[in-house]
Amino acid sequence: MKNLLSASTQAMPRFGPALLQFLVLALFLLFAVRLWYLQIHLGPVFTEKSRNNQLRVEYIFAPRGFLRDRNGELLAVNEPAFALGLVREDCEDIPATLAEVSRLSGIPLDKLTEVYNRNKPKVKSFEPLVLVPDMTYDTIAKVEGAVVRWPGLEIISRTRRKYNYGHLLSHVLGYVAEANEAEMQADSTLSLGDYVGKQGLEKTLDGRLRGAKGKRLIEVDVTGRRLSEELQAEPRAGEEVFLSIDLSLQQLGHRLLDGKSGAVVVLDPDTGEVHALVSEPSYDSNMFTNGLSNAQWAELRDDPLHPLQNRATQSVYPPGSVFKLVMAGAGLHYDAVDPLDTVTCSGELAMGNHIFHCWKRKGHGTVNLERALVESCDVYFYRLGMKLGVDRMSEFAKAAGFGSPTGIDLPHEKSGLIASREWKLKRFGVRWTRGEDLNMSIGQGYTVVSPLQVARYIGAILNGGKLIKPLLIKGQRPQVTGHVPLTAAQVEIIKNDMVQTVEDPRGTCHRIITPGVTVGAKTGSAQVMRLTEEMHRMGEGVPFKYRDHAWMAGFAERGGKRYVIVAMMEHGMHGAAAGPIVKAMINALFMGQRELPPKDLEGGERPANGPAPIDTVEPQFPEAPSGETPAASSEQEQPQQEADQQ
Amino acid sequence: MSPIDRRMFYHVNWRLVGVLGALFAIGVLNLYSASGVRMGDGVQVENFYQKQMIWGAIGVFGMAAFMTFDYRRLNALAWPMYAVTMVLLLAVPFVGKTVMGARRWLDFGVFSVQPSELAKFAVLLLGARLLSESNERLTAKELGTVIGLGALPALLIIKQPDLGSGMLVLLLLTGLILYRGIVPWLFRTLCVLVPSVLPLFWFVLKDYQKRRILAFLDPATDPLGSGYHILQSEIAVGSGRLFGKGFLAGTQSQLRFLPEKHTDFAVAVFGEEWGFFGMIVILGLFCAYLYQIAVVARDAKDPYGSYLAAGVFFYFFWQILINMGMVMGLMPVVGVPLPFVSYGGSATIVNFCLVGLVLNISMRRYLFKQT
Repeated sequence: MKNLLSASTQAMPRFGPALLQFLVLALFLLFAVRLWYLQIHLGPVFTEKSRNNQLRVEYIFAPRGFLRDRNGELLAVNEPAFALGLVREDCEDIPATLAEVSRLSGIPLDKLTEVYNRNKPKVKSFEPLVLVPDMTYDTIAKVEGAVVRWPGLEIISRTRRKYNYGHLLSHVLGYVAEANEAEMQADSTLSLGDYVGKQGLEKTLDGRLRGAKGKRLIEVDVTGRRLSEELQAEPRAGEEVFLSIDLSLQQLGHRLLDGKSGAVVVLDPDTGEVHALVSEPSYDSNMFTNGLSNAQWAELRDDPLHPLQNRATQSVYPPGSVFKLVMAGAGLHYDAVDPLDTVTCSGELAMGNHIFHCWKRKGHGTVNLERALVESCDVYFYRLGMKLGVDRMSEFAKAAGFGSPTGIDLPHEKSGLIASREWKLKRFGVRWTRGEDLNMSIGQGYTVVSPLQVARYIGAILNGGKLIKPLLIKGQRPQVTGHVPLTAAQVEIIKNDMVQTVEDPRGTCHRIITPGVTVGAKTGSAQVMRLTEEMHRMGEGVPFKYRDHAWMAGFAERGGKRYVIVAMMEHGMHGAAAGPIVKAMINALFMGQRELPPKDLEGGERPANGPAPIDTVEPQFPEAPSGETPAASSEQEQPQQEADQQ
Repeated sequence: MSPIDRRMFYHVNWRLVGVLGALFAIGVLNLYSASGVRMGDGVQVENFYQKQMIWGAIGVFGMAAFMTFDYRRLNALAWPMYAVTMVLLLAVPFVGKTVMGARRWLDFGVFSVQPSELAKFAVLLLGARLLSESNERLTAKELGTVIGLGALPALLIIKQPDLGSGMLVLLLLTGLILYRGIVPWLFRTLCVLVPSVLPLFWFVLKDYQKRRILAFLDPATDPLGSGYHILQSEIAVGSGRLFGKGFLAGTQSQLRFLPEKHTDFAVAVFGEEWGFFGMIVILGLFCAYLYQIAVVARDAKDPYGSYLAAGVFFYFFWQILINMGMVMGLMPVVGVPLPFVSYGGSATIVNFCLVGLVLNISMRRYLFKQT
């Protein structure tokens, strides 16, 4: 500036130029730091946000695998269902829309609001929140018109599990329901509204049946218009599974129980395949598909007949005289009995100051092992029990598969209980008494077993001592889980005695004799309670809940085909009551007397007999549908009565 | 006056011209991408970039025109210009054209004029004239006069409503005042007073303006409303990371998540596609550009020229600060475009003309040696 000629009169600004340069520098630094912060430091965060803007993941549902019986009859299929969803982002007036949905569907507004509020945190604002999971055709027709006028409403088509024989197979198939919070956390592939198996085979086979969802990546613009789609994963349909169950046998068992509480098991002793697994009363698997209301759930759960319970695997009962087959095995194994040795039955046995009665008050006279089994002589087994003692009886019974689950592919199987000295001391703080040896030898006392365990033991007698895992899926390789410590000859003795029980005119199972078929069986009457002399005389007049459970465990074979058949009827009074069931099964298996049941049995039949005492049938609750905690089930078996002999 | 002296041609500040050319080229290139919209498979490009090039060409002529005369002649124009502007501004509410809810335009049949653009120029000329009279720090009385003269048009503009332009007029004047300096006691007083009085203006703001400020303070309060602009802009810039997503590959802009992407938020498109690297380049260019103007202001022949150049400096400085600040989430959403990058016809022409003015001042700094 010094050399400017005319700068003399006018003074140049003094501070300004420095200020400008400072501002330029400040501007650069401010924005450079900010850019570093946004683009480098927070870059990954914004990249993710930009991807969220741009990409939507859409899942393509995989159809759940069908379930068929061993002959290919469809048991569980999928059918289309239409749900009504609400996309919150697109909805202008949510309360008004809910009111409209309530008007169209007939569902009370407060209930819809509750569903809405409950699911709101779980569903993203641009995803449909399911308000009505399954609309009737009537509702669909009404809603279709309304969807146009009410932005945000969306009809979602999906599939729904359908059980063709909802009542017949509910304990085997179980059911599916929408995945709950815990399941979704455990399995990241599950999202809200997905169905998962909750009970039965649907649960144990869930992985195979469910298949895998397909995934589609969709690029959208700001208006939600789809610009491109990229299939990231093809949906893989669930596997179709053939069960070992024979639908017609299952139906037969259902009909034979005739509404009474009980269980029937038919299995192949060589392969382990279960041909029938009936439990009554039952429930309809279809009930659960659309979600049960709390009231419906409570009704099922609190039903005194426990329809949710699978009586073949989840209920345990005293085996009664059926246990004599196990005791005979123990006697033979420990060499405590020679099949030819005889015992004189006078109708009672005195021990200490207590008298133990035979069921036949007159006595059986002189009996050897065969007669004792054929006529089910208690005194013979009292003596055997005295000889063996609790330790050996317990050891053998456990080796015979009692007291441990069979491993069948069904959830919540019960182990039953085989008592021992240690167990009693621990459980009651009292020492084992010798009288309890006697009680145990005839299948009373603390011993409880499930019908399936009995079937497995009978199977071992047929197949030479192999404890085989009961299989519900057709064509699986037989799995031997253990061996009953009996020689082939010893097994043969028990088997022959069972045959004699049927063929001998005085045998307890003579009524199920079938010409041309080798049939063997053993009855059992399991005391629910020690009846007094007076009650014994009452006969049919004994109150229902005190009546004995009726067992019949048997087998039938002809031409290389053989089956174990076990029937158990709660409070059936006498083992013979289970006989017609076994007999009908034999006829069906070998005489072809069977017919297919009509589909979709409205099987809401209430058993004609009254409720079972709760402590006999320990409830095994499946998981509650609405996130209630399932009732805690104790693994400790509590027998319903205590031997009171001293 | 004499036509352009050949020697003056050698004194043209070619550095400023070079930086301007680079900025404008980047701007047009970015507009090409910013006006692209992906509808299906292909990208559909609107012709904003072509129009911008035409505006730029016109602007170059304007720039040349602004170099031809001796800038000191503008001194005489200051008051008449101010008067005309005031008349036009007063006329706007009565005869103005309403566009998008605001009366900002005067329609002269063949062309439309935004008197607010004129006001910036008028205030620049008047401010430079009044403030260059002395180099003493401003006293309270002088300050009051200058502020008052600036506040009149500013208030009229804000009433239109056009908060951005009104603020720019005031800020331009403030810049010039700071360029001259204020007596120390007054400066200190103002440092306390202005921040404490400013919040009171909250009560004269319109609802949408209040929402914008609230959304700026916390974008999460209204992610789909006012906060949306800020959020989407930050996402665009931030997701560019170090080297950007590549030219024409910005999803925020192509899929239209970014609003106003060829005007106010154009630089966000650039940030998304070119990343930190590109943004530093463009920021560096802007700073070089501002620096060149600052150099012209420093080296100007006379105080009037220095003040004019400083006025132009602030004119650009505030726009860059506000626009880029807004794009980066440092400022609330105000409708201020980024010079040479945002699309806009009259703004581009005005910007070029102002550069012409600066070049004019720059090349005449040795002129008086001969006279």
